[in-house]
Amino acid sequence: MKRLQLQRWSSSVLSPRARTGGRLQQHLYYNLRRQSTVTPAAQAENEQLIDQQSSLLTTQTPGSPYSLPSPPVEAARESAKLAALHARLYLPTRLPLETLARCLVDSSADPNAKFNNESLSILGHDLLSHYTSEHLICTYPRLPLTVIFAAMYAYVGPKTLAAMTREWGVELAAVPGGEVDPGLLQFKRVVPGTDVNEEPAVATERPNEHRTSWRKSMTSRVVYDNEFGDPTEVKNIKGVPAEHASARFIRAVMGAIYLHAGRPAAKRFFEQHFLSRHLNISELFNFSQPARDLARLCARENFEPPVAKIISETGRKSRHPVFVVGIFSGQDKLGEGAGASLLEARSRAAVAALKGWYLYSPLNVRVPSAMEEEGAAPWKPVHVDLGEVIV
Amino acid sequence: MATYFTSIKRPLPSLPFLSPSSCEPIAWGARRHQSSYRRTKQRLRVKPDASFGTSSTNTYDHIIHNPPSSAPSVFQTPTKFLPVDDVRRTLRGSSTHVSTAEFSPVFETSGEKRYHLNASDVEEIRRLRLSDPMTWSRWKLAKRFDCSPMFIAMVCEASPQKKEIQKQVLEAVQSRWGAKRRMAREDRQLRKESWGRDP
Repeated sequence: MKRLQLQRWSSSVLSPRARTGGRLQQHLYYNLRRQSTVTPAAQAENEQLIDQQSSLLTTQTPGSPYSLPSPPVEAARESAKLAALHARLYLPTRLPLETLARCLVDSSADPNAKFNNESLSILGHDLLSHYTSEHLICTYPRLPLTVIFAAMYAYVGPKTLAAMTREWGVELAAVPGGEVDPGLLQFKRVVPGTDVNEEPAVATERPNEHRTSWRKSMTSRVVYDNEFGDPTEVKNIKGVPAEHASARFIRAVMGAIYLHAGRPAAKRFFEQHFLSRHLNISELFNFSQPARDLARLCARENFEPPVAKIISETGRKSRHPVFVVGIFSGQDKLGEGAGASLLEARSRAAVAALKGWYLYSPLNVRVPSAMEEEGAAPWKPVHVDLGEVIV
Repeated sequence: MATYFTSIKRPLPSLPFLSPSSCEPIAWGARRHQSSYRRTKQRLRVKPDASFGTSSTNTYDHIIHNPPSSAPSVFQTPTKFLPVDDVRRTLRGSSTHVSTAEFSPVFETSGEKRYHLNASDVEEIRRLRLSDPMTWSRWKLAKRFDCSPMFIAMVCEASPQKKEIQKQVLEAVQSRWGAKRRMAREDRQLRKESWGRDP
């Protein structure tokens, strides 16, 4: 399998004309600055625009860093914070400090798409969602959709990414500007006193969005909503919350590693920084009627109907009895639970049995992206079955 | 002082737990403490579990696996839930089969469905419930037709008047509850919801 030319990819992602419209807003900022990564064609185009608009540049002196919305590219080599961050994260040497500095500039600080991290963060976001979802679906093929959404949120949700930013020791700049140390995360902060939670304008492509009483099914969220099953929100507030800016920074680092160091390095970075975080998936479940669900499951899979039996008990007539109830289907025990009443123990046993069904994990799990490596073994299809119990 | 006298005046045989042992007829009034060290030592001398130590048949080094009693992990899929092509199914073999005969069931009634009511019975249930909803409640209908109240609810629905009356009755009952009882009921409900959520 031939290696793809990453340099060509990077130039297409980073050039302003590559992704037009849609998610990537094209901002043209008419200022004379040198770029870290740019194609000659785009540069020529840019210079042409600058020539046209040079009459507008009268108030700002080009040389001063105070005239710039974000630190100049040369400042990245002189920042101790940036070098320390690079070393602390053990980033590949092929990832230059200039790109790391660019990852730290949010689009609210510098609207120029060539100097902010927006393009990198879109790439990193797609990579993170792809790697996480394929890991979850291949490792636990029977997980219900709600649990997959919750696990996705726990692995690569904005709250997790913001916590990672703090763990990496990235500090936030009070106000973005050209004179700021490039090792600080720069974004335009929300004005104090703004209500962040007030009536978000929800932008979805969902038909009949105005009918608020209509049920929004879980499967429709796969199509219309984001990877966490939440509607994409567009808020009319000025500035960016620190959580969002931190999340975009982490995604941009992921995208930058992918572009500069290649796919294996990005995969390794993902495994070391994201998959290594402990998430107990068995705690993400919430059953309202476990016994009924288990009966439906056994009927669907042609097992014998589940029967609850008392395995052991103590203190039935006392104030604190304990019952241990097992749920059996024929001769096989499906689950076991302990509780202070027979009903509680049976309910917990049914929950344990359902979790046993959902948390099945095949041996020797391989994800589809493992096939991208050279000399990979032939692909064997992952386990797929009916999975979720639908009542 | 008073307590001292009463304890002296009590007859000895009424306090058997104070005497050290029936077979040691010593003047216990002279002794102030039980000599419990030897006795404790003796009682703690419990025979170890069979899986501990070296057995006579096995002289090699071996692994002692004696886990504490705990709930089984949910990450270990029951053999019945494993797919047909999974290796673990054959590895476990029939060792997971347990004889369930000696366990007593949680519910006395068996969960088997009988399907003993026909269309005319259902019509009768609906007619009774519409004609006199106060007499023919779900429980009474269930008892008469030998089915569950759930089935009655599936078959027919109470009239709006009956629902309104029932709501008022419930409110009247709940209005007499104090803070303690109300809180206890709410806590019970919350605990019940946590059954399906907690690990």
